[in-house]
This record gives sequence, structure tokens and C-alpha cells, in this order.
Amino acid sequence: MNHMGGSEAGLRIAHLFPELLNLYGDTGNVLVLRKRLEWRGITCDVREVHVGERPSFSDVDIVFIGGGSDREQRIVCDYLLVEREELVSYVEDGGVLLAVCGGYQLLGHSYLMGDEEVRGLSLVDLYTDRGSPRLIGNVVVRSRISPQPIVGYENHGGRTHLGADVEPLGSVVHGFGNDGSSGYEGCLYRNVVGTYVHGPLLPKNPGVADWLIARALERRYGNDAVERLLAPLDDAEELEANRVMCERLT
Amino acid sequence: MSVRILISTKVGRATHWVLHDVLHRSASQLPGRVALSIDPQLLSHVREKVSRGFVVVCGTNGKTTTTNLIAAMLEEHGDVVLCNRDGANMAAGVASALLPLRDADWAVLEADELSTIHILPQLRPTYLVLLNLFRDQLDRAGEIDHVQDVIASALEQSPETTLLVCGDDPLSMGVAARAHARGTRVLAFGVDEDLGLPTDRVPEARFCQQCGAELDYAYRTYAQLGAFRCPSCGFGRPTLDYAARNVKVGREGVSFSLVEKGGRTEWRIHADFGGVYMVYNVLATAAVCERAGVGGSCLQRALDAYDPHNGRLQSFVVDGREVVLNLAKNPTGLNQNVSLLLADGRPKAVCVVINDNYNDGRDVSWLWDVDFERMATDDQVVRVMAGGLRAHDLQVRLKYAGIPARCVEGVADALSAVGDLPVEQPLYVLTNYSALEPARHELERAGEPHGRK
Repeated sequence: MNHMGGSEAGLRIAHLFPELLNLYGDTGNVLVLRKRLEWRGITCDVREVHVGERPSFSDVDIVFIGGGSDREQRIVCDYLLVEREELVSYVEDGGVLLAVCGGYQLLGHSYLMGDEEVRGLSLVDLYTDRGSPRLIGNVVVRSRISPQPIVGYENHGGRTHLGADVEPLGSVVHGFGNDGSSGYEGCLYRNVVGTYVHGPLLPKNPGVADWLIARALERRYGNDAVERLLAPLDDAEELEANRVMCERLT
Repeated sequence: MSVRILISTKVGRATHWVLHDVLHRSASQLPGRVALSIDPQLLSHVREKVSRGFVVVCGTNGKTTTTNLIAAMLEEHGDVVLCNRDGANMAAGVASALLPLRDADWAVLEADELSTIHILPQLRPTYLVLLNLFRDQLDRAGEIDHVQDVIASALEQSPETTLLVCGDDPLSMGVAARAHARGTRVLAFGVDEDLGLPTDRVPEARFCQQCGAELDYAYRTYAQLGAFRCPSCGFGRPTLDYAARNVKVGREGVSFSLVEKGGRTEWRIHADFGGVYMVYNVLATAAVCERAGVGGSCLQRALDAYDPHNGRLQSFVVDGREVVLNLAKNPTGLNQNVSLLLADGRPKAVCVVINDNYNDGRDVSWLWDVDFERMATDDQVVRVMAGGLRAHDLQVRLKYAGIPARCVEGVADALSAVGDLPVEQPLYVLTNYSALEPARHELERAGEPHGRK
């Protein structure tokens, strides 16, 4: 464990609607962010935002949105649309946001629930329609934000299409990605990461976790914060789990 | 009897003979599949061979145990019972169990939740027992809403079936509500008092499926089970037709009094195994027992003799050390196993084995929904190991729970890794589906059965 002498640094994570968007072990992502901050002596305050609350993002460093069933996702979207302006300012100000699976779809202009088109948050220029069959299985993605390939699991009926100016999170090495045909997976816009790699994205991909933490530290504590605060961790177990799955799949 | 059913059952039984007697292979699936391919209506054609009734058991956790208990209880009564005891629970497995086509009093059949739609319309059972619904194998089974729809549709196509449902489970009651609205007769069982147990994390069903409001609980027994009620629309636990009262759960097993709503019955029942989840399995069995007009003494004898040799809570002794093997294939199952081993006051080692073969579900994300953190704070858990095809994923999960774990190859490796611990310290081996049989065979080879205390 690393303790930065005299450091009073701390970050606040807003976990949106954990009781609704928790389909695939999503809380694992928040746990990993929290532990990786604490192991570095950086305090971490996780604020759960529940249905009916009016979240404020002004003092938040990382926002996490998980995935839910259609029904639950719909409830969440209705609540979040009210907060859209606040979220837009947060994102345009360089706020860090990780959205997984259904949460990823919410970032865009619209997605389909059954045959009904549901309005999204329009935080990122993308939209989601549907295809058959569902795209299910292990996935490996090469991304510039992670030294190791990102490895995980995807399970989605939606096909997500990125606007011309939106960078994908990475290229699909194994699996389907955004739509099963473009060869791209996820989106990267300012400090927003959206991805279909669901559930425990961060545990086996510590590079992604630390990229998010680094961006949040820079935003709060300035450009030299990463060098000062982001001490290296012993990631032997995480990297071994990553390597084993990558070798099996590629 | 038609020519087709004669041919299909003869070919099915011949397949069974070749597999079982000649090749010494498992005959729990293929004979039924062959027979069903010749006669797709096989299930409805065998109905007449069973004189008293059919009981189909489904639910995410506890199917195999409950099916075996119901069959054993009826056999104690002297009835002839057909049963898919080994848990082959798709339509082919159910057909295989019925193939002997001898006259029987009862058929007691475990059914996979999604297979109910293939089984119920043809079999039209007397009872469908619905134990619980938990998140399980999302990649294969889909979301819980879908599973509920399938069971409700299956019941709609089998109007003479009475649904015997866990009234404490909002998700199972969601099925009951839909089925009841379409004319199904519903009887509910549940635990009618606060057990005061520490409850585990509740990953699902915090919200009313009817209206979306957060459910209130007078008390919870485990996971989302308990005395629930929606403050907004009133959806809640029904009046219990079969209630467990004066419940005791401890190291020596479970016991409770079964109280039937009409006051017909009040039995004291005891099982020297399992935790709070076992109260529900035994309670469901007791409800069937009472409906079937079988005395409580038959159930008690079945429980006393229960020793299924199927890896569910099976104990062995290997080189003087007790090894407890149990199935744990989803968050709720693993959480219940953690409760069980924490209730064992002895210092102990734990080996969790997770595979990701097809029948396990390929997606192991659910490991992050398991409350492993409870093991981290208990100093009687002296060593933890991770095994199986996804040992490394498990090791990372445990690391973030604050538990340093080492990876092991298999159960034999785990046993040698605890060689330095005193033999009085037991080893708990918890595996998911496809890892269970290999673990059981390894333990049977390495040690001997351990009589239950």
C-alpha cells in the first residue's frame, strides 16, 4: 500500500442509481476505483444517487452509470433527462464519466426499447438501434487508454453508431463491439468512456481504471497531480487475469 | 396406447440400456431426447401411467434438493415415484425420467425455469412448486422479467395446475400475480417470523415490479425474501397457506413448525443440514406432503435418511480432515454458502471453484455481486483459494474484497495447499455447476464419506 506523505488529496465518485443499474456486477467498477484510490492514500467518497434525488455534479470527480434491464433503464432515463443541462456542463468541463452497457446507450441521442424510440441524454454524438441476434460473449479490445488489451464480456441487443467526430474506445480484437460490423467498440469523448464491456470492466483492466483516475486528478489538482499522486500499484493478479483471458481468446 | 409412443419409449429405453449398462455413461439426457424426437407428445402420452399426480419443481436455487426430498418423502409413504434425481432438468431430462413407463403413483420432476414452457402444457402437473427467482446466468437465461413471463405462460397453458409458490419472494410472487390473474390457483408458503439473521446484500427486487416504488420489509430472511409490501400499490406477501414458525437455524441444521392456514396440520420438522435457504426447501416439501395427504412422519423419516451423494452439501474425510462440498452457482447461492461457513465456528479453509463452461454461464461478472467482504472480516477463515477456469478472475475479486487468495489447479491441489493446517480445521469447497461433479469424484477417490453430525 502506498501512502503519499502529507497528501490530503481526495476524489468524489457519484454512482448513479445503483439500485436500478446493477445488472452485471456493475458495482465492481466503483469498488475498484475506490480501492485503487485508497491504496494510494487518496481518500474516496462514493455518493450513491438514488431515484428521486436531485444530484449535483459540481463537486463530483467521477460519475459512474451501470446497466439495467429495459424497464429500469427507462425509469433512470426519465430522471436523468431532468438533470441533462447539469450533466452536459459536467462533461464539457472535462468531468470524468464511465458508462457501461445500458448506461452507454443512455449517453446518446436515442435508443430503442422494443419498437419505441427513447430519448437519451445527448451527452455524446451517438445513437443506438437494435439488431438480431443479441451480441453475447467475451470481448477483447485494443485501446489507446490502456497498456493492456481491454478484456471483458458483452451482452447487448443494441447496435450503437458513433457520430463522425466521436472517437471509439478502441478496436475489436475478439467479439462484436458497438454494432458487430464496424470493428469498433465503445466511445471516447473528452473524459467520457462509454462501453459495452459490462460489469467488472475495471478489475481486469487496471489501465482503464487508472486512466479515469488520472483524468479526475488532473481536473481537480492540476496537470502535475498524476505525477505527484498516482503512485504505481502492484497489479500482478489483475494483469495475470487479463493475460489469461487474452491468451485464451486471441 | 399408440404405436408411436410404443416405439418412442422402446427406442428411448434401448438407448438407456446401451448408455447405462453397456457404456456405463450417464443416461439422464439422451434417452429422453431420442424418444422425444420420435414422439414429441411423449410427455402428454405418459400422463396416464401415473395414477396420483405430478409435481414439477422449479426455481433458481434448491430445485434438485427439493425434488429429491419430495420423492423420498413419497417413497417413505410407500408410493412408487418417478423422478429425475440427478438434476437433468430440460425437457429431455424430464422425458428420460418418465421413460421406464411403469405404473407409478407420483412423478416428481425438476424443471429448468425456461423449460417449464415445454413441460407444463403437455404434462399438466398437479402442482408446480416455484421456490425462488434469483439472478442467474444472464447470458443464457436472460433477465428475470423474461424468466417470469415464461413461467406465467407455461401456467396459463396448464390450467389444472396449482402453483405452490414462495410467498416471501417478490419475484416469484410476480409470477403468481400474473398466473392468478389468468385463473391459476395459488397457494403460498413462507417464513412467518423475523429470524433476526444478519442479511446479505440484496442485488435485486428492491423495487415493486407492479408500480416501481421501493418495497418495505417487516423483516428479511435472506436475499430479497421476507415479509415484503409495496407502500404504494399494496403488492405484498400474501396470507401464507403454509407457514414456518418457531424457526431455528444453526450449526445443527434447521427446524420449524409447519402451520397450515386452515389449522389442519401443525408438525414440528427438523433437518440436520443446511442454512436458512433449507427452511424453504423443506417447507415446500412439507406443503406438498400435506397436500398429498401424507403424514409428517414420512417427511421426517425422509429428512433423517437424506444423503443424496450429489455434491450438494456433501461431507468427506480426507486424511483426517473434514471436507464440505457444496454447489454455489450464483450470487445468492454463494452468499448463502458464506453464511453457512461463517456459522461454523471452527477455523477453516475455503476453496471456491468457478468454471465458465456453457452450463455454468460464460459470463462471470456476477462474482462482483457476491458479498465476499464478509469473509474478509472473519478471522476464523484462515485461508482462501481460487480454482477453476476463471480462478484468476476470482482471485482479483477476492483481492478487492480484502482477501489474499492463491490459485489452485483443483481440489487435490487445494487439499495439499492446506496440508500445513491442523486437520481439525475443515476445508469448504464451493463450486459452480460444471466443477461440481469433478470435485465430487476427486473427493470420493481421495477420502471417504463423512456421516452428518
